[in-house]
Amino acid sequence: MNRPSEFSSIEHSQLIELQDRLREAEETLDAIRNGEVDALVVGGPSGQQVYTLENADRPYRVLIEQMQEGAVTLSEDGVMLYCNQRFAALVGADRQTLIGESIERFLAGEEIFAFRRLMTLDRGFGRSAELSLLASNGLVVPVNMSIADLEVDEQMPKVLCGVITDLTRSRERSHELAAANLRLAREIDERRRVEDSLQLALDAAEMGHWDLDLLNNTLTRSTRHDQIFGQVNGVKGWGLLTMLSQFVPDDRNAVNEEFLRAESSGSVEFERRIHRLNDGAVRWVQVKGRTFYLNDKAIRISGVVSDVTERRQVEEQLRQSQKMEAIGKLTGGIAHDFNNLLMVIGGSLDMLDQRVAKNEKITRYLTAARHGVERGATLNQQLLAFSRRQDLRAETICIDDLINTFANLLDRAVGEAVTVKIEAAPELWYCRTDAHQLETAILNLAINARDAMPQGGTLTLKTTIRMLDVQAATANGASAGDYVAVSVADTGVGMTPDVIERVFEPFFTTKEVGKGTGLGLSQVYGFARQSGGFVSIESCPGIGTTVSIHLPRATSLEATEVVADTPVEVRGKGIVLVVEDDSDVRAVASSLLEDLGYSVLEAETGSEAMKLMDRGERIDLVFTDVIMPGEMNGIDLVRAMKIKHAGIPVLLTSGYTAQRIAMAEMAEGLQLLRKPYTQVDLSLAVRSVMKDQA
Amino acid sequence: MSEKNRNHEILEKVSDEPVADGFDLRLYVAGQTPKSLAAISNLKKLCETHLAGRYTIEVIDLLVTPQLAAGDQIVALPTLVRRLPEPLKRVIGDLSNTERVLVGLDIRSKTGSRT
Repeated sequence: MNRPSEFSSIEHSQLIELQDRLREAEETLDAIRNGEVDALVVGGPSGQQVYTLENADRPYRVLIEQMQEGAVTLSEDGVMLYCNQRFAALVGADRQTLIGESIERFLAGEEIFAFRRLMTLDRGFGRSAELSLLASNGLVVPVNMSIADLEVDEQMPKVLCGVITDLTRSRERSHELAAANLRLAREIDERRRVEDSLQLALDAAEMGHWDLDLLNNTLTRSTRHDQIFGQVNGVKGWGLLTMLSQFVPDDRNAVNEEFLRAESSGSVEFERRIHRLNDGAVRWVQVKGRTFYLNDKAIRISGVVSDVTERRQVEEQLRQSQKMEAIGKLTGGIAHDFNNLLMVIGGSLDMLDQRVAKNEKITRYLTAARHGVERGATLNQQLLAFSRRQDLRAETICIDDLINTFANLLDRAVGEAVTVKIEAAPELWYCRTDAHQLETAILNLAINARDAMPQGGTLTLKTTIRMLDVQAATANGASAGDYVAVSVADTGVGMTPDVIERVFEPFFTTKEVGKGTGLGLSQVYGFARQSGGFVSIESCPGIGTTVSIHLPRATSLEATEVVADTPVEVRGKGIVLVVEDDSDVRAVASSLLEDLGYSVLEAETGSEAMKLMDRGERIDLVFTDVIMPGEMNGIDLVRAMKIKHAGIPVLLTSGYTAQRIAMAEMAEGLQLLRKPYTQVDLSLAVRSVMKDQA
Repeated sequence: MSEKNRNHEILEKVSDEPVADGFDLRLYVAGQTPKSLAAISNLKKLCETHLAGRYTIEVIDLLVTPQLAAGDQIVALPTLVRRLPEPLKRVIGDLSNTERVLVGLDIRSKTGSRT
């Protein structure tokens, strides 16, 4: 037995190592026995493999069981080998009944083919598809199914695992999202439409839009806005200061204050002048806007702007014309009363003249008084002309004679700074026109010439003759023939073509508001037209302007017609009914008539006169005022008489000659005696009317 | 070393080179079995308490790399191996018995003699 010797031959260190290894082996066994390990390393045909003990993979199992996705293990042909609780819930079936079932049971129609394609696609670690599961309760559940090959062991049959995600919620979410998107898109469309129509409306209203951001002082503007300000291609950033600089210097502070005020008041609205950038024109703009607040702090002011220059011009013209109309009415009214006064004075003077014993003094006094009445009558005619209640009293006149008579007046009208030169015509030409209107026209031109020469200059008034052929005449809207041209030329500032184009328009004026009526040249034009002539203008900026009134030439023969004999009163007989509301005038008229040999009946109103006639009084002539208060004026009386007393002749009298227009519709042959009249005028008119009637 | 590292999950390494008297420890686990998870957690605690600053731990999941089992002759999991200081020492189990681990790693000497 050599065993003990063998043992003894083992070295001590070896022994200790063996002891340790034994202890380790025992400890390993103990650990396994005591359950201190839960996995073993086992040798296999393909090398080392780790086997976990049965309960060792519980964390995985719990993970699979607890997860919110359905999980299945499938055989190659779709038979379920395993499924988790979630999958069972998804398809609405008991979990135990599912193992061994084909998953295709829960797929309908087309979905089965999609699923089979998914299964046979064996390439790749995982693949997925969206399918619809048909649950037992009939519900269709949209899911995402991902399939992967489960390679556990080479010997095992092919197994696949699948994870099924319920897409119901996410589908709903995406539907909601799509719906929300659609809503949003509609809202955007709607808003864009509103914006478009707003833009359209703004465009139609020729309004520009602006938006002033108060926080960073930037002004956003629309294209129209820039057009209004004449900013043709400027895109540079605007601030409030840029905007202010557009306004004329006089208005800048006011505009700035308006904007400052808007921050507290909540709105802004003003009309101010700008210098339009592209042409430097001064334009009126109206700015309207509203302030927007954030936490009680004004953050922006936004609004519209429009060019209101033309509107203001129209308003101004309207105002001017209303003013003229009002003044015209007032003047006309005064002239009417004034005529009656002159009538009384003049008539009384006539009667005095016949009744008093004359000596040199009395004759002189009477003459002076009568002269006063005549001057008053002239003044009254001017008032009427101004109120445009004057008819054109055409007569044949010699232009040069006329000009010479008011050369002094011209001198006074143009002032000392302007030299007046009157060039006499080589011969005397006659025209058939209203001398007074021509005077007014020349005065108007002279005043325009003066205003065109604030620093002084020369005004030249001359008369020339022009022979127009058909072509030249047509170009001026007149007929061919000889025209006498009265020209007023100045050495003033002149006019640009666009101004010339408009000068005849009523109320057009280049003078400051209040300095001119804008009617001067309109009167000239209207008068020339009414006389059968026309007006021409030649002007050059910086050199001067010449305006010529062309009046048709008349033969001097006609001119002799107006040189009438000094008329003499004509006496007569008969009964005259005097209808006049002013008792003084009535008394004078009656006296004058009685003096002339007529018998007189008096009536204060038209209806009173009708009553007299209705009563059957013998009346040979009705002499009535046109303007009378009450229900029946002179015209009404004539109308009434045409019906009931057509045989009685009528002589009208008025200081208000424009009434002739209203009488145009009346019977021909009606005569009107202009107030104030003299006894001679009255005698002739009464005689003429009664003679016509006889 | 680099070849190995590719498959190792290095849970913690206090320094790149083991400290002179440092402990180079390797814990073999089998995925996330309860004992494996317990062993990782226990070892971490234990080292911090007793070997703070003097240890490195490598956790090797044999479910991922079963071939590494051969090197340290691992049979059961989890197993803790002390590679340094030599000699190689092994502690099997979830390392819940701290006293036994300390003795097994020669951090604290056994009360009795080795015989």
